[in-house]
Amino acid sequence: MKSHLRRGLILGVAALIALAAGAGLALWDRPPKRADALFALSLPDTGGTRQSLEQWRGKVLVVNFWATWCEPCREEMPEFVRAQTELGPRGLQFVGIAVDQADKVGRFAQELHLNYPALIGGYDAMEVSQGLGNHLAALPFTIIIDRQGRIAETHLGPLKPNQLRSIVDNLL
Amino acid sequence: MPPDKAFRFSARLLDGQTVEARFAIADGYYLYRDKVHFAVEPASAGLTVPPLPEGKVKEDQFFGRVETYRGGVVVKLALKDVKPGQQVVIAAESQGCADIGLCYPPTVQRVTLALPEASVIQNTPSDKKPWFN
Repeated sequence: MKSHLRRGLILGVAALIALAAGAGLALWDRPPKRADALFALSLPDTGGTRQSLEQWRGKVLVVNFWATWCEPCREEMPEFVRAQTELGPRGLQFVGIAVDQADKVGRFAQELHLNYPALIGGYDAMEVSQGLGNHLAALPFTIIIDRQGRIAETHLGPLKPNQLRSIVDNLL
Repeated sequence: MPPDKAFRFSARLLDGQTVEARFAIADGYYLYRDKVHFAVEPASAGLTVPPLPEGKVKEDQFFGRVETYRGGVVVKLALKDVKPGQQVVIAAESQGCADIGLCYPPTVQRVTLALPEASVIQNTPSDKKPWFN
């Protein structure tokens, strides 16, 4: 009888430890709630002028990490251009951070008639994205931030147009 | 999967001066031919890289004609100035993407190789000599 009790107790404690560890892991895996690391960034645009992301605080901000050598990145960008045109007046702001060379970014931005800032992040920008949930350090990686500066969504890989619209519609 | 698993690099010595470099590319992933580069450390060891095998041609809207590798790619590299017993590092840079719509920035993978000791190298030519006699 005693040994049954002891076994039950041990199992109970083990279950509690497993639960606590699981909860800890879940918290660990969750992206940070605030986007302060992004707002602290100041990066050159294609013309070489430094732009602080802080200037867009208060808007619904879509920060897209991309590169010209990333075909899936280029494929989703026309939709970003459309969304910027349509939803910009309601407070939506796209910002692209290119892990790339300024001349290539400038040429592509021109070809696409990019209507939002294209900043040059280099590989240090990838480190920031990794800190915000880009565990594979891959592109495209998109972070959607609400008007209070909280991270509402992070997404690795191309965003489907309806997926993007439904997320930002809730925040605008 | 992380890029060093998607594009797994390995290298082995075929003889005292020849390195077989290999990328094993996971299913659903591809490497860009013009983004594959090799280097040796220390640089004084010198490395001759032959033209890389032809890849599958793809028309890219922005970059034009690009070539990609799937499955794998093997290249024979030649070390120019190495001493028996010396240790060299083969650094392989690569950049590629996954069909699911992800691309990885260029990454460098390194393999350390120890060249055979003098006695081994001296034996090797004597083994091969009969072919040339």
